[in-house]
Amino acid sequence: MFKAYEELKNWREETIDSVADDHFQLNSFHDQLIYQTVRLAEEKVERELGPPPAPFAFFLMGSAGRFEQSVWSDQDHGILFDGPLNDQDYFLRLGEEIRDGLDVVGYQKCEGNVMASNPLWCQPVETFQTQILEWLNTASWQALRNFTIFFDSRVLIGDAFDLSSIKKHVFSNLDNHPELYSRMIENVNFIKKGIGVFGQLLPEYKGDKRGSLNLKQTVYFPYINAVRMLALKKQIQEPSTNRRFEKLLVHYPSLKPYQQDFLRLLEMRLSLRKHAVSYDQVHLITVDQLTKEEKQELKYLIKQGHKLFSKAKSIFKEEGLI
Amino acid sequence: MEATFLMNNLWIIVCTILVLLMQGGFILLEAGSTRMKNAGHIAGKTVFTVGIVSLVFWAVGYGLIYGEGNAIIGLSNFFYGDATTMGEGLAGSVDFLFQLAFAAIAMTIAFGGFAERAKLVAYVVFAILFSVLIYPVIAHWIWGGGWLAEHGKQDFAGSTVVHLTGAMAALAATMILKPRIGKYNKDGSSNEIAGHNQVFTALGVLLLWVGWFGFNAGSTFGVADAFFGYVALNTQLAAGAGAVGAMLMVWAVTGKADVPTTLNGALAGLVAITASCAFVEPWAAVVIGLVGGAFVFFSMRFFDKKRIDDPIFALSVHGTVGVWGTLSNGIFATPELATVGRPGLLYGGGFEQLGVQILGVVSCGLYAFIVSYLILKVMDKVMGGLRVTEEEEIMGLDLSEHGGYGYPENLTPPDAASGRKHG
Repeated sequence: MFKAYEELKNWREETIDSVADDHFQLNSFHDQLIYQTVRLAEEKVERELGPPPAPFAFFLMGSAGRFEQSVWSDQDHGILFDGPLNDQDYFLRLGEEIRDGLDVVGYQKCEGNVMASNPLWCQPVETFQTQILEWLNTASWQALRNFTIFFDSRVLIGDAFDLSSIKKHVFSNLDNHPELYSRMIENVNFIKKGIGVFGQLLPEYKGDKRGSLNLKQTVYFPYINAVRMLALKKQIQEPSTNRRFEKLLVHYPSLKPYQQDFLRLLEMRLSLRKHAVSYDQVHLITVDQLTKEEKQELKYLIKQGHKLFSKAKSIFKEEGLI
Repeated sequence: MEATFLMNNLWIIVCTILVLLMQGGFILLEAGSTRMKNAGHIAGKTVFTVGIVSLVFWAVGYGLIYGEGNAIIGLSNFFYGDATTMGEGLAGSVDFLFQLAFAAIAMTIAFGGFAERAKLVAYVVFAILFSVLIYPVIAHWIWGGGWLAEHGKQDFAGSTVVHLTGAMAALAATMILKPRIGKYNKDGSSNEIAGHNQVFTALGVLLLWVGWFGFNAGSTFGVADAFFGYVALNTQLAAGAGAVGAMLMVWAVTGKADVPTTLNGALAGLVAITASCAFVEPWAAVVIGLVGGAFVFFSMRFFDKKRIDDPIFALSVHGTVGVWGTLSNGIFATPELATVGRPGLLYGGGFEQLGVQILGVVSCGLYAFIVSYLILKVMDKVMGGLRVTEEEEIMGLDLSEHGGYGYPENLTPPDAASGRKHG
């Protein structure tokens, strides 16, 4: 068993290279690392404040929630507990401990504060459910962003029942208010341009990121956003884009090639970035350093991402939802 | 007195005022394109160097250009004060003022290469030497009856005389001064040092654009046949095409419609049409402007890559595009309009006029660059460097050279001791 976060950090450093070539191995390893870190944090808080006052579930969101982390990743997580609001202090303390522990192990703190140390993401089941539905129905830009973050969630430790039940409420809410789909699509409709009119890649041309292409915003987001929208529509609870694809294929077999493209993208991302030294760099590719074949592949994947996003929108249109 | 004579003089004095007002455009353009800590300096130096140029032009400049002399230089009419030329054409004083305004524009362009790092005293000394040894020589060659005029060199309002000459001096300056602190990294990559106010820059460009009607349409030297209208039409079309060309180009290549590039495109269109505004048809003005706009974008990238730090893009806007503008005559000048020289390539003139234009660009460009370089090198040695100290550059030239910030509420002096020059 691990006794300190530093040990986990060392474990990470010793192991990560050996799994960095394989998307599934890498993400299983991330899950284990986070699991062990949370366990250590729980023990520490238990020594400080005693055992948890209520049953709880620790859940992951963002790329960890989707089982799509790269070599480096930031933190996105929350805690749901089955107890009164009075218990929140205990779980917030646990959230802080998890946040600091993960930071030591190598997961940068979330800039947007989507972490269990934030009262917004550490709540009793009932209030959390109310909040999620409120976000959905308020439909302001930030509320929908929060909702989107929530929807890519899965429980890592604890009972998954409550999270699943909240998602079911979300689905029935959407059934009653299909007009929300068009707002949600608007919320993710901006896609950072990756290819210019001459068919060339468009890296940043100013500032300290000059010459680099943001893989996450330019290539990856159109895929995950399109698939998330369709998953909401087809009431698929799975957060992983690949698993969502699999379930969506039953309804939309024509998505098959895009699933293959998405897997190619995950693979390419690892091959290009496994030697990144920090989270800041992990999404940036220096275009000049790419081979001709890599550039071709990247352009192809960007185009397919755009097509998939358009296709998702046309599905919503055909079904009269937007 | 004949009405036409009066109208000619009235028109040209109006144009003189417009060209002088272009200095206001430069003040806004340059201040907006540089950092806050240098804004007061940039604005102030523009005004006082116009002062220096005015005095030098009166003392010797005009005489060196238009005085009786030889193919290389004029040698009379110094300390200009002729009130007698009152028959036909322009009154001497009106002509003098119009020419003076042009000389001041060339000077301001040259000082673009000094931006954000040259000592104030370097401005003073170079303003005098440029106005004696560089600008008048080239102006004499092309406009004062010198050897290029004899070849039929077409430069209606001064793509070569004003813009290329200024830009070549700017190039020499920027090479000797070296890049600003923080512009380039050790690995050779460059950082963007963004200007502090794009609205100023845009207003500066618009003011220049308006002033350019004085620059180009005024170069008709009169109102005969209202030909100034035709020149103004070409000017407007090229400026518009330049802005569009640059924006489309930067948008297509980088994916972003960069504002500074678009603004430089409008200026590029204006610079490009300056030589040819009276010699080409409107469709050609559009092409000349579009190409100028596209060129300016690539030129900006080229100089940046070559580690030549050009804070306000004088080399690209006035240099690269000044060359294009001059050469475009050799392609687009029409037989009907080519009152000087011969028609261009597309109008059956063959390569003859293009050859003359190339000769003009190369000889004037080389002269302006070499003499500027030598002068600045000597100044560098004699004055113990043209550039302010590192500390002064970091605190800003407003404070180091003038004792107070242009934006006093927004900036705090580093400390009282270093706030004074040599302090």
